Amino acid sequence: MAAAALTSQLNALVNNMFAMGLLDDQFQQLQMLQDSTAPDFVSEVVTLFCDDGERIICELSRQLEKPNVDFDRVDSYVHQLKGSSASVGAQKVKNTCIQFREFCQQRSRDGCLKTLDLVRTEFYDLRNKFQAMLQLEQQIQACYPKH
Amino acid sequence: MGAEAVRVLVVDDSPVDRRVVELLLRAHCGGGGGAAAGEAAPFHVTAVDSGKKAMELLGRRRGDRDHLTPSSPAAAAAANDQAIDIVLTDYCMPEMTGYDLLKAIKALGSPNPIPVVVMSSENEPQRISRCLTAGAEDFILKPLKMNDVQRLRKCSGATRPKSAVAGDDDRCCNTAKKAAAAAAATPEQQQQQQRSSHLAGLAMVMNASSFEVSHYFQLIFKLILLAYAVLCLSQLLHRWSNGSSLLSLWCA
Repeated sequence: MAAAALTSQLNALVNNMFAMGLLDDQFQQLQMLQDSTAPDFVSEVVTLFCDDGERIICELSRQLEKPNVDFDRVDSYVHQLKGSSASVGAQKVKNTCIQFREFCQQRSRDGCLKTLDLVRTEFYDLRNKFQAMLQLEQQIQACYPKH
Repeated sequence: MGAEAVRVLVVDDSPVDRRVVELLLRAHCGGGGGAAAGEAAPFHVTAVDSGKKAMELLGRRRGDRDHLTPSSPAAAAAANDQAIDIVLTDYCMPEMTGYDLLKAIKALGSPNPIPVVVMSSENEPQRISRCLTAGAEDFILKPLKMNDVQRLRKCSGATRPKSAVAGDDDRCCNTAKKAAAAAAATPEQQQQQQRSSHLAGLAMVMNASSFEVSHYFQLIFKLILLAYAVLCLSQLLHRWSNGSSLLSLWCA
């Protein structure tokens, strides 16, 4: 009984994430792959994305604080974040990264700082939702002792 | 149709991408692909985070094989077990890019060069054609999809030890390459046509200042030369054929 309620809660959360444009069909593809061979596929990739994203965002704010900003370096970090978010299907973060890279090319520090704030907000919002998702998945798995 | 694993070396600096590609490849042999996956060989994935590590790995394995091959068939088989059938590399990496890695692998000079497939998140025709001319078997856009894994599989057979199979796979791979090259060439040609119409007059100036455009100029130059030759020829014909009604009609 509890498992069914949790599952519907999980589905509602994920559907909401799709509806808000946080995720795209790449995430759907990952979900589809999950049941075949690797049972923890999505959670593993999502956890990696959260860790990697956090590291890159910290690095970005450190780089942009410097008196002489190395925009090529900043650009390469944003490129990494864009790649990671594209791989998990984090559409919104990916799109903001595209904007971010334009500011890097324009060598606009203000533009970069503003977009960094935006990326940060979007990323942590997504991360909170991902964490809620993983927690629900764990609770659901706990309902089935041998799975 | 063997169940012999296809050994893939995945090179990507992003941990997320590395894992996604790895799991995507593993899932492909696990029956995820339906009927086709039934007879397909599984992928054996090795993942490294830089081009340098990839070269170390390939260099070491190649070294092992060179030492072991003459001594005993068993040792040779063992070395073969470790070998890599195909390299799948990201384009954008710090220090050694995917393009550098591609060139380094092709420069190893083994009789059966390892097929290299480059992947990138940017759809830049120039980048694609650059990789294909440097000998890449294919160019895949990120994020990877299931059909891309099928493409990768097509390119993977070229260096298999079984020579009978290798021929077939090689041809298959070449067609994929040609198709990709053609696909890459089309946008480039369009671009080129646009450019040639805009820039024909500015040819000499631009040639000196811009490297990017410069390799279109050979073609434009040839075209201009050809047009000039035709003009000269028609003038000559016109002069010669003043008396002849047939030719003067044709030239007018």
